[in-house]
Amino acid sequence: MGHDAADVLRGTLDLLILKTLTLEPMHGWGISARIEQVSRGALDVNQGSLYPALQRLEQRGWVGSDWQTTENNRRAKYYHLTASGKRAVGAETASWRRYVEAVELILDIA
Amino acid sequence: MSLIGAIRARVRAMLFGRALDRDLGEEIQFHIDLETEKNVRLGMRPDEARRRALAMFGGAARTREDHRDVRPMHWLADAASDARFALRGIRRAPALAGAAIVTLALGIGANVAIFSAVNAVVLQPLPFPAQDRLMVITEENPEKKWHHQVAAPANMLDWRAGVSDFADVMGYVDGAGQATLTGFGDPQPLTSSWVTGNFFSTLGIKAAIGRTFTDAESWRSAVPVVILSDAAWRSRFGADPALVGKTITLGGTPTQVVGVMPSGFSYPAENIDIWLSVEWNPANRASEGFRRAHWLRAVARLKPGVTIDHARAQLGAVVDRLKRDYPATNKFMGAEMLPLHDFLVGDTRLPLLVLLTSVAFLLLIACANVGNLLLVQAATRERESALRLALGAGRARLVRQALVESLVLSAIGGCCGLALGWAGTRTLVRLQPAGLLRVHDFGVEPRVLLYVLGITVASGLLFGLAPALWLRRRDPATVLKDGGRGAGQGLRARRWGEWLVIGEVALAVLMTVGAGLLARSFWQVRRVDPGFDATGVLAVQLSVSRSSNEASVAAFAAQLESRVRALPGVSGAALVSNVPFTGTSYTSDFIAFGRPAGGYGTEVGHRTVSLDYFTLMKVPVIRGRTFTADDRLGAPPVILINQALASSYFAGEDPIGQRIAFDKVPNKETTWYTIVGVVGNERVDALDVAPRIEVFASELQEPLHSPTLLARTSGNVAGLTSGIRAVVRELNPSLALLKVRTMESLRDDSMARIRFLTTLLVAFAAVGVTLAVVGVYGVLAHVARNRTREMGIRIALGAETSQVRWLVVRHGLRLTIVGLLIGGGAALWGTRLMTKLLFNVQPNDPATLTAVALLLATTSIIAAWLPARRASRADPASALRAE
Repeated sequence: MGHDAADVLRGTLDLLILKTLTLEPMHGWGISARIEQVSRGALDVNQGSLYPALQRLEQRGWVGSDWQTTENNRRAKYYHLTASGKRAVGAETASWRRYVEAVELILDIA
Repeated sequence: MSLIGAIRARVRAMLFGRALDRDLGEEIQFHIDLETEKNVRLGMRPDEARRRALAMFGGAARTREDHRDVRPMHWLADAASDARFALRGIRRAPALAGAAIVTLALGIGANVAIFSAVNAVVLQPLPFPAQDRLMVITEENPEKKWHHQVAAPANMLDWRAGVSDFADVMGYVDGAGQATLTGFGDPQPLTSSWVTGNFFSTLGIKAAIGRTFTDAESWRSAVPVVILSDAAWRSRFGADPALVGKTITLGGTPTQVVGVMPSGFSYPAENIDIWLSVEWNPANRASEGFRRAHWLRAVARLKPGVTIDHARAQLGAVVDRLKRDYPATNKFMGAEMLPLHDFLVGDTRLPLLVLLTSVAFLLLIACANVGNLLLVQAATRERESALRLALGAGRARLVRQALVESLVLSAIGGCCGLALGWAGTRTLVRLQPAGLLRVHDFGVEPRVLLYVLGITVASGLLFGLAPALWLRRRDPATVLKDGGRGAGQGLRARRWGEWLVIGEVALAVLMTVGAGLLARSFWQVRRVDPGFDATGVLAVQLSVSRSSNEASVAAFAAQLESRVRALPGVSGAALVSNVPFTGTSYTSDFIAFGRPAGGYGTEVGHRTVSLDYFTLMKVPVIRGRTFTADDRLGAPPVILINQALASSYFAGEDPIGQRIAFDKVPNKETTWYTIVGVVGNERVDALDVAPRIEVFASELQEPLHSPTLLARTSGNVAGLTSGIRAVVRELNPSLALLKVRTMESLRDDSMARIRFLTTLLVAFAAVGVTLAVVGVYGVLAHVARNRTREMGIRIALGAETSQVRWLVVRHGLRLTIVGLLIGGGAALWGTRLMTKLLFNVQPNDPATLTAVALLLATTSIIAAWLPARRASRADPASALRAE
């Protein structure tokens, strides 16, 4: 958890959550820990925006949730990808790639 | 899952908002716990670990809030919490909220009352089926200066026959008459209406019992027929269902009851007891008199699908044909057609519009005042707002909060206003002069409730807008930097408040000028000399049997006069066909012997009087003589003229001894009357209507079948009434006293309309001015408070108390003068619309304008004085220390 870690851009948070959930169902803390870990501490999920994002995704029907018991025997809300969520990951990823390419193109030229 | 899931999530969120909050709370708690554990693993102390976990989260409450914003319908929950917050605010500052609510209740209440009247009179349709197809047809004669004149029966029948767009055309006598019912205990006066046979069928109203008149019953038949109102049937005949078909005696004539109308039907006047058919004589159909005498208000019903313009064109063609066919009567006789509703609303539209404008201004002033209160409050709460902004509250949310607060205030004000307005309508119903509002009863109806809702929300938004917008523009950093003295020193807040006050003063000026002009008119009307002395004169209307012959009518009159004159306390008695303020008997053409026909502008009014009339009423005889006992039946016909006729028609010559006739073109049968005297003018129509030209015939030569007895008394009027009743009963037991009025009350009635309007407008203007002055006071008090330090410094530097005071008063005067200029300018333009309501006063009357300006200037100086005095007492030491 470095202090120079970048905040996750609002629009990209949804994509990161969806991508993380493709591995397995997870609870909120797990998702933020995983993003931090995978990005090697470069990305710092603002936890105040994590839960609203989850709620948003749930409303769009891309993510489902249910209460389960953790290995430490505690109640936690686990999120999982729905069928349409899985389709959305592909589309969102593609659109993100296009975006990144476009930005790099501009950076290279300029 | 996608769509259905989304919908389910939304529904769940809406229904189980609270449960979701709990879920979310648990989830966040879980997250924080795990984060804390992680921090502990990284080597932190437990409390530090937990603090960091919380900080990472950015505040649990904030997350929950953001989270909720994602949820649909969250604004509803927010609005509820805003409303709760607002109510808490009201409890916190009850004086301010109370002032706002009272102000609003006054404004809204006045609007409710006046709008109820407008709704009842102007907006509600007439209570007849397909009422929009009912049209009034009036006769228009530029030569006689007739406008909206009643129709001659022959013309009416010809329109009916000639215009195929009309389903039917009926007629009735405007207003109500009187008839005496005998045979049911004491003779009873009944309020009657004369109508043609197709009156009810054209209106589309059926009888509740029996039938309405048939078309044939317009014409004289063996047994006259009558229809009763529900009220008369119940009160006079004990609701006897077998009455229909029976015969009752009206004015000495046996008349058959053919029907009873449904309850609530009373047209064309209020409280009609009976409807009588007009009973035309079939032999007169072709006579000139049937086309010359105008006495029926004609109403046509258009066939379905017919346009007004088409029917009007057809009517025009018939009217043109009548002009050619009957030149003696119809040469200049045009016709106009307009919807019955428009015709009946007629001249009540303008007074109601003026009243409505006045209460609208009142509400605007009230809104400005409340807006100012809230602005002051917002300014004093500036630090609170700034703090909330700095802590991350959304600016939009704060604005919304402010608007919800004002809406809650206006809602409470609206409810109080509705109650006040309901009481107001009751008062209006009671106070309204007969005939002003046409409907005698009206209340708060759905449309009125809608209107209240509208003005309540509109005013809430209106007065909430200023503080809300102002709030939006504030920069929290500046406010917080200002430190403790932040309270509303913002120049902008003060500017806004000042503009509100200027607007209030301008509106108050408009209202006061309007009210002032009417008050001046009322005063002018009161000062008018009616041409006679009304004090202590009682007027008793009688109806002599229709069947009596001339000689017995004359004998009855003579006995009545002498018997009443002998009653104790009576100083004089006389008979007249129509007392002043009730119009004339009839009007006619006239011509002086030897003059060419057509040399006059209008028709002459006729009245018949007994010998003592002029003495009793103290009407001066200007030239010649009045009637004597020798001017009786069989003697050469003589006539008196009034001064108006003498000075217009006989200008520059001596009318005495000239002969006059009442035909347009005299012929062999024309009766010539010799003018024997000229008497003073009397205002016979109303106090504010100039005397018309009149002639007087002697009651001895033309006996009165329906005279009004005048008696002057120095004593008790009520006692006199019973004395007269006894005399009448003794002379003719079948007579009833139809109407008993004092001339003074008739005179008051003649002013009732302008007095009613004046009273209301003055009352509204008084409230408006008070509110505006309170507004001036409020702003100045605020200014004075915030300039205490400045005043303290000025005083410390040696300024005189009076100079300091003058600073504040000058401020107030500046506001008032700008308001006066704006309001005065608008009044100069706006009051022209009132011209028709004014009497002997110009709409830009300088006296009224000056008086209003002085009134407002004086009151606002007084309003400025209190804060000025407080400011001038600022203690320099403490004022400076306060910083």
